[in-house]
Amino acid sequence: MSLSRRELLARTGFGLGTAALGALAAPGDFPNFAPKAKRVIFLFQAGGPSHLDLLDYKPYLKGRFNEDIPPSIFGTQRITGMVAHQDRFPVMPTMYGFQQHGQSGQWISDLLPRTAAIADELCVLRGMHTEAINHDPAITLLQTGSQLPGRPSMGSWIDYGLGSENANLPAFVVLNSLPSNGQPDQGLLARLWGAGFLPSRYQGVQFRGGGDAVLHLSNPPGITRDQRRTQLDGLAALNQRLKERLGDPEIDTRIAQYEMAFRMQASVPDLVDSSREPESTFTLYGPEAKRPGTFAANCVLARRLAERNVRFIQLYHRGWDHHGGLTEKLPALAHDVDQPSAALVEDLKQRGLLEDTLVIWGGEFGRTPYAQGPSKPDSYGRDHHGRVFSLWMAGGGVKRGFSHGASDDYGFNVAEGGVHIHDLQATILHLLGIDHERLTFPFQGRQFRLTDVHGRVVKQILT
Amino acid sequence: MRWLIAGLALTCLAQESRLDYGRDVRPILSENCFHCHGQDASKRMAGLRLDTAGADLNKVLARVTATKPALRMPPAYSKKSLAATQIATLERWVQQGGRYEQHWAFVPPRRPTPPPDAANPIDAFVRQRLRNEALTPNPPAAPHAWLRRVSLDLTGLPPTPAEIRSFDGAVASTGEKAYQAAVKRLLASPRFGERMAIDWLDVARYADTHGFNNDAERSMWRWRDWVVRAFNQNLPYDRFLTEQLAGDLLDHPALEQRIATGFGRNHVINSEGGIIEEEYRVEYVADRVRTLGMAWLGITLECARCHDHKYDPVTQKDHYRMYAFFNNVPEFGEDGRVANAVPMIPAPTAAEQQQLAGLDARIRKREAKPRPKPLGPIDVAGGIPLTADQAVPISKHEPLSFAFQLEGSAQETEIFSSIDYKRNRAATTYGRGLDVRLVGQEIEFRFADRLPAYSILVRSVGAELTAGRQRQIAIVYEGAKDSPTAMRAYAAWVRIFIDGREVETQILHDGLAMPDRNADKPQLTKFRVGPVGEPRLYPRALTSAEARALAHIEAADLELETLREQRFRIARQVATVMVMQELPGKPRQTHVLLRGQYNLPGDAVEPGVPEALLGAWPKGAPKNRLGLARWLTKPDHPLTARVVVNRFWQQFFGQGIVKTSENFGLQGEFPSHPELLDWLARDFIDSGWNVKALLERIVLSATYRQDAAGSPKSFARDPENRLLSRGPRFRLPAELIRDQSLFLSGLLVEKLGGPPVFPYQTKDLYKNIIVAADYPGTKWPEAKGPDLYRRSLYTYWKRTVPHPTMTVFDAPDREFCIVRRSNTNTPLQALTLLNEPGFLEVARKLAERAWTQGGKTDDARLGFAFLLATGREADPGELSTLRDLLNRMRREYSGAPSRASELLSVGFTPAASTIPAEELAAFASVANVILNLDEVITK
Repeated sequence: MSLSRRELLARTGFGLGTAALGALAAPGDFPNFAPKAKRVIFLFQAGGPSHLDLLDYKPYLKGRFNEDIPPSIFGTQRITGMVAHQDRFPVMPTMYGFQQHGQSGQWISDLLPRTAAIADELCVLRGMHTEAINHDPAITLLQTGSQLPGRPSMGSWIDYGLGSENANLPAFVVLNSLPSNGQPDQGLLARLWGAGFLPSRYQGVQFRGGGDAVLHLSNPPGITRDQRRTQLDGLAALNQRLKERLGDPEIDTRIAQYEMAFRMQASVPDLVDSSREPESTFTLYGPEAKRPGTFAANCVLARRLAERNVRFIQLYHRGWDHHGGLTEKLPALAHDVDQPSAALVEDLKQRGLLEDTLVIWGGEFGRTPYAQGPSKPDSYGRDHHGRVFSLWMAGGGVKRGFSHGASDDYGFNVAEGGVHIHDLQATILHLLGIDHERLTFPFQGRQFRLTDVHGRVVKQILT
Repeated sequence: MRWLIAGLALTCLAQESRLDYGRDVRPILSENCFHCHGQDASKRMAGLRLDTAGADLNKVLARVTATKPALRMPPAYSKKSLAATQIATLERWVQQGGRYEQHWAFVPPRRPTPPPDAANPIDAFVRQRLRNEALTPNPPAAPHAWLRRVSLDLTGLPPTPAEIRSFDGAVASTGEKAYQAAVKRLLASPRFGERMAIDWLDVARYADTHGFNNDAERSMWRWRDWVVRAFNQNLPYDRFLTEQLAGDLLDHPALEQRIATGFGRNHVINSEGGIIEEEYRVEYVADRVRTLGMAWLGITLECARCHDHKYDPVTQKDHYRMYAFFNNVPEFGEDGRVANAVPMIPAPTAAEQQQLAGLDARIRKREAKPRPKPLGPIDVAGGIPLTADQAVPISKHEPLSFAFQLEGSAQETEIFSSIDYKRNRAATTYGRGLDVRLVGQEIEFRFADRLPAYSILVRSVGAELTAGRQRQIAIVYEGAKDSPTAMRAYAAWVRIFIDGREVETQILHDGLAMPDRNADKPQLTKFRVGPVGEPRLYPRALTSAEARALAHIEAADLELETLREQRFRIARQVATVMVMQELPGKPRQTHVLLRGQYNLPGDAVEPGVPEALLGAWPKGAPKNRLGLARWLTKPDHPLTARVVVNRFWQQFFGQGIVKTSENFGLQGEFPSHPELLDWLARDFIDSGWNVKALLERIVLSATYRQDAAGSPKSFARDPENRLLSRGPRFRLPAELIRDQSLFLSGLLVEKLGGPPVFPYQTKDLYKNIIVAADYPGTKWPEAKGPDLYRRSLYTYWKRTVPHPTMTVFDAPDREFCIVRRSNTNTPLQALTLLNEPGFLEVARKLAERAWTQGGKTDDARLGFAFLLATGREADPGELSTLRDLLNRMRREYSGAPSRASELLSVGFTPAASTIPAEELAAFASVANVILNLDEVITK
């Protein structure tokens, strides 16, 4: 059959190991060059965590509370409808302390003590920027390369390009977490892990916190695993007869998918069952890790998925949208994610997985250096801010204890080392051994790609 | 896929030495050269164009064959390269004269003469191609196999055993006539519209929520029902198009024609706080252009939004001229917070229209009667005199009434208002408050958290408050009496009384922000008070009788009052539908938007179409959407008919004659059977755009009737069946998989149309995904009873989290226009069909049905279930496998009644108590297998 590897995969399920398909691999298939990372864990902080209170230390602002941001800095900021009525945009210095940590001397907020403790593992990007100023378009841009719905998500692109390394698990898994304060005011959207115009088998598979980890994974009450085996044997026999009569190879694929489903019924519960993890795991990740569905529990799960070679592991943690009352809400949010995120990096390192796993921590944009609404030095809110923000990476192919890019004195604009969302995407693909300009799919008469017509690899951060 | 097509194309080349520019040459140039040497002047390199004649082609050949990397085209940095066969093709093309030809799809279709291979032109063209490829068509499928295929294709449901038997008999006695009669029967079934609507709902991006971050509820089901009816009534496709694009601009449009324009409003609408209004308003207009391109024209206009199209001769200016048709809608960028976004109209159903007409008749009759005896005066207590310095508590959750006397006026007059209109309009609380005003001699009631998006606007109809006459007015806001999570908004609670008599109202906007009891505690509010007499506020909802008493009308006709109350209540609560409408007065000026950016307007443009490319504007047609519809449906339009005929073909054969059914442009795929496509398009137009006639011709063709079997060689030669040497065979769409299973188990509840329904869905599906707030669209109130078993096109479609049983089988999320779904084969599909409660309940009901109706023996019962599910008799081998499985399942449940009853307890409908539980569980386990057969979920 003259089908390329990807075309073959498009017709089947989670794909086969790449080795099995070596014979079918067509020129131009991926990876294009030796990958530095085999898998990605993206700890996505939805809502826009404040770079100014977490990762971007701005001593210049100290003592400038309530001064106006100078017009030279403000420039042509696209301001959201939520602050468009403000007469002035007063400087809002952080109320939290920042210290230097590790041999690298990274500046990190006191709100993130555990992250600070792994400062020498981190590669902090402080010149991130995006043109979107609202959640939906910004998060969609980050995950799909376009502000508008319709494009495949990053994990789908990667699955499409590289396929799965594990015959029993999907290549792209999504884990959504509930913040401890329980009231996320921003929704997530299926499109963030959707396949867009790619065949829909590339869409991310959500693993859920309670009940079946994968929808309808468990046999129904009253049907045992042995019985299911018997049913599937009967089903396969009947399907096989049909295949002999009709000759349609799609029937073989169907039979194979039912077998894969049966294997998943065993492999997935084993995967998500963290109860047999030693107590040391929960000491490392924190007590919340015992509660399914928390960010901490999902970080443990992310490590277990990484151990099983799942390619793209996407965590979401919501609740960072602190227009008002940032000072009340931020410490709790930071606490939710600080220890588990750092623990994940440490844990991967201990297991020798960090060297080929890329961990990314960050949100869709940062927050404004000016206050939104009434403010006091120890009580304030901040609006969305895409002109500059921060994000960290660790592991698979990025420099350790390194920082790249900087904002200006106000934390308002990129001063140097700007990294656009498309650059970030190009870099992630590069680390996986993919030339982002070659990972394309024809749709509507055009070759589409994750990075649209933009993106350059941030070479400075590569090992 | 490209390999395969290249393979097919090569076969053609071997037989026809003459190259076809459009088929053989342009795809190579388009893919590799046009980006820098095409029509986009801003990207053109070296001043060289290869999309039109004029270049020195020998020089071009020299460059594509150059060995020096610096000279070689395409250059390495473009990451494109030409294969040796492609270079050879270019060389042969130049040898043959290097002739450019107009792209086939931009030339109006002519009616080719079918080759003499067969009577049905479809078969004639298909067989000619097969002959050229040295292939032979398959023999016809068995009658029952065709009947199942055609029943699923035309009605979405399989044939019943009785229909199969009677069809077999009819074929034996009347032959061909039996096929024709079956098709007539299926086309006449109301199920036909339900089946056909499914694909159109994808194209039209229909959903029951607005999409984006908040993804609140909208009400567009009246439009969805319009589609079902349009197919059932066989509305000619030119009218189908015209009413959806421009029904509102027809002469005296009927309600249904205005509802049809909901097509233009099905796009996603953003209510995220803080978005820039104009940015999203522009997106909505751009979405309409994109949809115009994909749905009707089959070309990608979107590419020309930011720059001239790289491949198709559509300029950025062309794009914005088409944009101008859709840029004149009185709409907001931020809207749809809790309900429909403006513009919208009340859309009473036929039943409601009848009910309203009945009440109107009774009211008129009653009004003609003499008044009954006077009633004593009613004391209306509890009014607070309203003055400018009196602060009163106001809450959108609490009932409230106003009463006052007013002399009408043609001038817009503020009556009471607590809204500060002088504030910065960008403020998040701009417009908060309550406002009663006289607008166009009508009473307008505004209640807002923020203007314009988060507010209700209700206006009286026919009050005619003219100058020189003092009127007694009462406004009653009945308050959000229901719980805050009620699936409805607030505008329906406003009643207006003029001189004691309730008048009709219209809801102009229905978007009072989501209920938040904590944030919305009653606010002490001061009102500015206008030129009124005896203004009073009542912290409760006045009754009709009280409103009458306030007007000092003692003589009342209570029956009339009750009738009116009833009538207006129905009118206020009928579902609305979002529609297209033109701005009053001067149209909004459209500009080219540089880089497609909302805030970078360039040259002003007027509405228009790429006439040079796609044909002249019809003489005398207005330059609006109606004219656009006339242009699209001109009999010599090159694209409209080809595109829709191709899409119907795709529905029946799994892929279009043009595989890229969304793109007939230069980058689209060349048709597998170009002459057949043109013949069908031409015939479709000449038939008066008769959809049913076209489908009848397709399903009666020998091509469609072929057996689907094939040898390994046949599948290897043409895995996608593009040459059509086999009958169509592919997995059913998501909706049909579920609908079929409900039908064959006897659970399906057939009811045409109505509001969306909530079948089984995993309870905590929305948890950890959607916004943690209560407003319409955030809940899944699972049905109890018949609505669990309706056809899937009625399932509530929430865009950000669509029903998993739909998406797992490749249904799109409907955030934008899609004209073809993928068709995948995954383990998650297996898990769904094996374990999802709805499918398990179906398995049990199928088992019950087989047990009670199938006969007395195991074989009879198993055979009956198999026949129901596959449309054919099981062969002895299959029956033996099933029997063996049944006996094994019996052993599983024997002595395990509690396990049996666990399985039987899945689902809302109780298990039949007449069948022993262990026996039924064993049969249900076998039915579970039958429903998972490849043959069952495949047509």
